[in-house]
Amino acid sequence: MKNLIKEFTKGIIKENPTFVLALGLCPTLAVSVSVANAIGMGIAATFVLLGSSIIISLVRDFIPDRIRIPCYIVIIATFVTIAELCMKAYSPALDRSLGIYVPLIVVNCIVLGRAEAYACKNNLSRSFFDGLGMGVGFTLALILISAIREFLGSGQLLGHTLVKGFEPVFVFGMPSGALLVIGLLLGLFNLLKEKRT
Amino acid sequence: MNIQEFLTIFISAVFVYNVILSRFLGLCSFIAISKETKPALAMSSAVMFVIVMSSMITWFVYRYLLLPFNLAYLRTISFILVIATFVQLVEMVIRKVSPQLYRAFGIYLPLITVNCAVLGVAVLNIDMFFINGKAVQGSFYYSVFQGVCVGLGYTLAMLLMSGIRERLELCNVPKPLKDFPLAFIIASVLSLSFMGFSGFKF
Amino acid sequence: MINNLIVSGSPHIHKPESVARIMWTVVISLIPALIAGVIIFGANALWVTLAAVTAAVLTELILGLCTRKKVTVFDGTAVITGILLAFNLPSEVPLWLPIVGAVFSIAIGKAVFGGLGQNIFNPALVGRVFLMASWPKYMTTFTLPFNLDAVTSATPLAALKEGKVLEHISYLDLFLGKHGGCLGEVCILALLLGAALLFIKRYISWHIPFTYILTTGVFVYIFGGDKLFSGDWLFHILSGGLILGAFFMATDYVATPLTARGQLIFGVGCGLLTAVIRLWGGYPEGVSYAILMMNATTPFIDRYTKVRIYGTR
Repeated sequence: MKNLIKEFTKGIIKENPTFVLALGLCPTLAVSVSVANAIGMGIAATFVLLGSSIIISLVRDFIPDRIRIPCYIVIIATFVTIAELCMKAYSPALDRSLGIYVPLIVVNCIVLGRAEAYACKNNLSRSFFDGLGMGVGFTLALILISAIREFLGSGQLLGHTLVKGFEPVFVFGMPSGALLVIGLLLGLFNLLKEKRT
Repeated sequence: MNIQEFLTIFISAVFVYNVILSRFLGLCSFIAISKETKPALAMSSAVMFVIVMSSMITWFVYRYLLLPFNLAYLRTISFILVIATFVQLVEMVIRKVSPQLYRAFGIYLPLITVNCAVLGVAVLNIDMFFINGKAVQGSFYYSVFQGVCVGLGYTLAMLLMSGIRERLELCNVPKPLKDFPLAFIIASVLSLSFMGFSGFKF
Repeated sequence: MINNLIVSGSPHIHKPESVARIMWTVVISLIPALIAGVIIFGANALWVTLAAVTAAVLTELILGLCTRKKVTVFDGTAVITGILLAFNLPSEVPLWLPIVGAVFSIAIGKAVFGGLGQNIFNPALVGRVFLMASWPKYMTTFTLPFNLDAVTSATPLAALKEGKVLEHISYLDLFLGKHGGCLGEVCILALLLGAALLFIKRYISWHIPFTYILTTGVFVYIFGGDKLFSGDWLFHILSGGLILGAFFMATDYVATPLTARGQLIFGVGCGLLTAVIRLWGGYPEGVSYAILMMNATTPFIDRYTKVRIYGTR
């Protein structure tokens, strides 16, 4: 049990997919304009991660080694399609604002990376917690970035105005602001790492 | 279908909505491989080739397979499968035909399968050039042209970035910012300067 | 004492030139344009400039102390960045705007690359496009010259973009700066005086400024009018930030090519991009974007225009 908890928590800080492993940055930057988008994307990605981790760890013994990547991709794409259709049905507004980045979860390096590096070598329960941890870590990183960007870019958080009289810095709502935030955050993490050692 | 449309696609795909600097597609490969110019160029040409070919193939798949049989919801699965197969095929052909070329960009080919830019352009073409399940007039040409332009935009960003990063090798960069963080900050300034082209019209 | 004993490679001739000396001369060359700005737009222009310079110098000092580098505050580069940034702002902006812009210029435009002499982009322009993207409202509200009530007006280029007729502005008005615009870019006469000083001192060469202005003029002449070869080239050269940009920002030592051939390419590129953005882009003015984009290509231009070393292939 203790092991499983460790599998779960490592994805949140020690092996955080975004900040430490630097995986899956494309959707992270694209959808982090607002916290609401970030949460939606995080849930969708976690669902796909979890689903594909479970299935892949179950069928890992039956897949021939040579064609494993295509097989993983099909499994992942299936879950992405499920997530896409659910989102279209239950939350069309979110689907519109996430746009092409929902189908692009298929090529999110985190998902395929975990399938290749973890789920194909470990049993069901460990893969489950690994996928869950990575998903939560990804979601938290997304929320952090999007909170910074939404606050600076529009003076709001989740649509509520926080500080009156704050002149929003529009650039943080734009692509270049996203690149700047992630660059500075990565630098900050490096600085912290350096301090600790 | 007229020349204005093509020019608009060109400016928006290369500068305003540059795949990397504005849409963030292919960002991982951009950050990882832009350290030197030569591999950056090899990767760009490989990506460009695959994007153009896959926009053709996915257009046919969507228009003549998925739409007539009402299978549009299988878009994501079928596209990624087609792209993966195609990349595999290209890799095999290149290895057989020209070992030299294979050494030059063969190692990047498997990476391209999971390059978001390829799938991204395919999905984008469908979103932009099919309205209510019908192809707009000339949509095939638009799709292919958009593929070419996105490839050009990728190459442009990749080349600029690799030139800058090669020069930075000689600079005394603050240590925590070395490599990735600084690459993002440079990309951010590049993206700011490309905004000069926003609102372009003829 | 010890320094004198170090034997370095040739050349051994010493000149009294140093980074600090050159940079302070550049500062002096910018003073006429500042005075013109203050005369035209009132004391606000001075406050904006002072705010930007102070913020730039303080940021440089603090970041220098944090990274424990040699303190480079007194060589005047931060002062130049501050002045150039302020020159690219309208005179009626709230005072926090030049401060934020200057901090951004020095921190993101310069310090992240390792400080003096290592920046890829012109720091003042990085700050300017940041402000332009962040607070377009303030950045595009200009005031009429010689008007204490701060009546807003459009710049000639912006008016042209909106399709208004510009009959009441003569070339002389443009040359002397009697029109709305950023506080340091309007008075061409003062800018040319400053540029003349730099030319006499041989701190800048003719390559970039002349090819830049010439290319913009020719391109606008060809494509700017209703028919080919009927564009108002003189208007485009005299309005907007072209003169300021060509003489003072595109000639930045660090972010531009080293060889004469490279500088010619750089100037032509800047000119083409500026003209294209002015004629067809969404913004009325393209000088800062053009120079930034060409800054990004500088490492490439440098590589392909390298002077061949004698005896090598």
